[in-house]
Amino acid sequence: MKIIIDKKEIIAENNKTILDIARENDIYIPSLCNHSKLSPYGACRLCIVEIKGRKGYFPSCSIFPEEGMNIKTDSPKLKRLRRNILELILLEHPNACLICGEKENCDEYKSTIRKVSEVTGCVLCPSNGTCELQEVVNALNLKSIRFPSLYRDSEIRKNDPFFDRNYNLCILCGRCVRVCHEIRGVSVLSFVYRGSKTTIGTVLDWNLHELGCQFCGACVDVCPTGALTEKSKKYEQSPDRKERTICGICSMGCELEVEIRNGRILSCYPRKDGPVNEGQACVRGRFALKEIVCHPKRIHYPLIRKKKKLEEVSWDEAIDFIAEKLKTYKGSQVACILSSQVSCEDSYVFQKFANNVLKTKNIGTIAANPDLERFSQKSDCELMSNFRIRDISKAKVIFLIDSNVSVSNPIIWIEILKAVSNGAKLVVIDSLRWPYSRQATICLQIKPGTESYLFALIAKLLLGEEQEENFPNTEYFNFYREFLSKIQMSEALEAIGIEEKEAKKTAEILNEDGLKYFIFGSGFTQYSWGISNLTSLWNLSLQTQARVIPLTFESNLKGVLQTSRPFSAMKKDFAEIYKIISDGKIKALYSNGPIPLYSKKSIEFIVVQDSFMNENLMVADAVLPASTFLETEGTFVNVEGRIQKFNKVIDPLGESRPDWWIVAQLGKRMRGKGFDYKKPSEIMAEIKRKIPEFKNVSYNQLKKGIEIFINHKETGEKREEKLTPLKLPPLLMDINEEYPFILLFEYNSDIYRGFVLNREIKGMKLIRNSRWIQINTEDAKKLELTDGESIVVESELRRFKGYVRISEVVPSGIVLASFLSNEEKDFSAAHMMFFSGLKTLPIKIKREC
Amino acid sequence: MDIILKRYKTERKELIHILHEVQKEYGYIPVESVSAISKYLRISESEIFGILTFYKAFTLEPRGKHHITICMGTACHIRGAPKILEEVQRQLGIDAGETTPDRMFSLETVNCLGCCAIGPVAVIDGNYYSNITTKKINSIIKEYKKIE
Repeated sequence: MKIIIDKKEIIAENNKTILDIARENDIYIPSLCNHSKLSPYGACRLCIVEIKGRKGYFPSCSIFPEEGMNIKTDSPKLKRLRRNILELILLEHPNACLICGEKENCDEYKSTIRKVSEVTGCVLCPSNGTCELQEVVNALNLKSIRFPSLYRDSEIRKNDPFFDRNYNLCILCGRCVRVCHEIRGVSVLSFVYRGSKTTIGTVLDWNLHELGCQFCGACVDVCPTGALTEKSKKYEQSPDRKERTICGICSMGCELEVEIRNGRILSCYPRKDGPVNEGQACVRGRFALKEIVCHPKRIHYPLIRKKKKLEEVSWDEAIDFIAEKLKTYKGSQVACILSSQVSCEDSYVFQKFANNVLKTKNIGTIAANPDLERFSQKSDCELMSNFRIRDISKAKVIFLIDSNVSVSNPIIWIEILKAVSNGAKLVVIDSLRWPYSRQATICLQIKPGTESYLFALIAKLLLGEEQEENFPNTEYFNFYREFLSKIQMSEALEAIGIEEKEAKKTAEILNEDGLKYFIFGSGFTQYSWGISNLTSLWNLSLQTQARVIPLTFESNLKGVLQTSRPFSAMKKDFAEIYKIISDGKIKALYSNGPIPLYSKKSIEFIVVQDSFMNENLMVADAVLPASTFLETEGTFVNVEGRIQKFNKVIDPLGESRPDWWIVAQLGKRMRGKGFDYKKPSEIMAEIKRKIPEFKNVSYNQLKKGIEIFINHKETGEKREEKLTPLKLPPLLMDINEEYPFILLFEYNSDIYRGFVLNREIKGMKLIRNSRWIQINTEDAKKLELTDGESIVVESELRRFKGYVRISEVVPSGIVLASFLSNEEKDFSAAHMMFFSGLKTLPIKIKREC
Repeated sequence: MDIILKRYKTERKELIHILHEVQKEYGYIPVESVSAISKYLRISESEIFGILTFYKAFTLEPRGKHHITICMGTACHIRGAPKILEEVQRQLGIDAGETTPDRMFSLETVNCLGCCAIGPVAVIDGNYYSNITTKKINSIIKEYKKIE
């Protein structure tokens, strides 16, 4: 339709607001409460416009165009009104600096005066000039304020980690409240009280971390003033340069902007134009990244064990020492562990070295979903890359299974939430009840390990003859039908622990038309019954034409798996490597990730290539300092198969070097061929030649923002995968009087290589400590346990320590621990799990004495 | 608390009704009930708090057994409501918005009750007292004290 804004004729879309349309056409309308990602709000009233033929003034942020609308965005009357409004807004905001006559002369000194905590003017404000209020004041050319100013004198909230809240600077635009509610689905912040006492707050002003805030930083990023500010940046000067890169901690691949001054990282922001994250991030990328890179535990120099102590040596000495030692072992005596958080280039060179030089077949990667790859191969289906994150928001039905998605894969959660607000039905299936499940249409809290029973039951409820054509093979269909006919409704319901009407309603939802997604997290596949779960879900997805999405944590798991294609070495998962090492066949270990060792066993020589010191390195004979992803360049492949280029943001710390460089040096020293790389682009050129999936990759194109995916299979394509025969797993071992609880574990998604974010970073420890053992409120009451108490979890054979966390996540009778492959032996739930063959265990809890 | 919740559907729109009933049952909204409602209706605690602090009908602190409301609307104001308020405050020894230590009386002001013709107006436990004077309000309060 055609509308006229300021005498300019514009073709407008009817789903955009007048304000958006004006901005697209470079017409400036001042506004404070509006945000492009949030719903229209109309609180600040600064964006008022005149519409010809209508009486009054209209907020352009919340009206939509109509045919022939004639809009005026500027007139003397509008100017006066806007100034009046702004004066009233500034009444409660420290405004002396905003209207100061010496404003221009002061700019130079602003960033040096800022050494106070109480902010009474822009010179003292930590937002350091990135302030939308300043912009609007300048645009409206406001020179004086007629009213006496009013300082709220509200106490600054400093008790939370990562950011402070100073409500003396707040203009009540409501952006933080809306972003928390609409985009992140947490609703921790809310408007409280009313009238002149209105403020943004929480229940009785409790701290955010007590209310389940995960500190994604979205509220800080949308705040137009300095009311919400990052703690660590408060007293920093302005950055001298900004670089863009990709966050390499989890599999989302958020695009970040990193602010740097004098080679130091000041802050990391999610980029609004990031193709995956669109201005969102999570606590890891937004706040923790800066702390990770320059953490005191970073290793700066190569270390070699001399006389039982690790000593700093030069690169030459370290490489010589390691090459000399590694030469003495046969291929079958060496095991290699590859981190799934290194770049494709690093992973390729590492595997080339292991395969061609060390000649070993024992290469393992660390993945939360080991069964996935195995299942994909067996049933010949492309489970790993058959979706686009963007498409999730178009879904009509989403099944979310065994995943703490809002923490582990935050961007996926944002997309799910978008779908839900568009009317999609969300079914959460989990034995745990995560806080996000309040957004669900139905929440099925099943007994642990009964997922396959549930899916078989739903399949039985839905099965009709017409579904036969969904199956590629009639024989399978008959087999499947027979299998389902044997399932007894009442028995299955009893086993799963849900009611009949819940099962029927779930089936009903699944029977609806539209795009359907089954999204599952690590909890679905990490136990010994993972394969049965996968099979039953896969069968159900064929039957109902739903798409299956597995969620992975590690930033480059897909890239690591893809780059292993040219090599004959067997890919092993962590549990297998653990087993091989326990068997005592391995004499030497070379790892660039965590090492699964609690004692050295038969291993004589251990080389660890990592960026961080941790307890496990203490058994290493040589330690090579690797750079983090911010100090080098390369590519990651994210969860949807998107190939992303990350850039060098700062120089490597100390003597640390990129992984590919270190391995290439070792390769050259051990007379391997083809290790003369000078930069990562040369490695990528080789990968492009060897692996067809990468043939379209070009650094230049990636830099320009051209989207390249590893697998060009379109979503919605007819699948030809086979139905897989299903066996239901045995039900869980019964608990008994002595061991009254069942232990479940959650894969810890807060790791970067050998560094455990939620153990080393103070703020993250406060919101999700890796050593928490989560216990239901009632159970804790019975055992008289209090939050934070030190306890011991004991199974028949093993034990580990941890701290009590009373939580609503776990149902009564279940205890949840975090699973970490490189935890200290005393605290390691993983150790107990591996030992039990990844089954859940009956356990008891004791107070530590 | 559970009994109250069970009477309602688990839908967002029931929130105000539940809050009203909690207020009626306990005389105020205990913070624990906010958590319970949050779990039942699946609304975040902060949102509920935002709503209950917005409406004057809900209080976070226990009210007295007898709740006195004095109208300070324009009509009542010019007919001497401030004087009456002062008198009640002196009588009970509390400010507007407070509760007596023995939890017998609580006092509150409102800005108009909509019955300006019979002002000044005071409302005690839902009973309207019209055309009150300082004398009249004194005897009414004494009456209430006597009942106890």
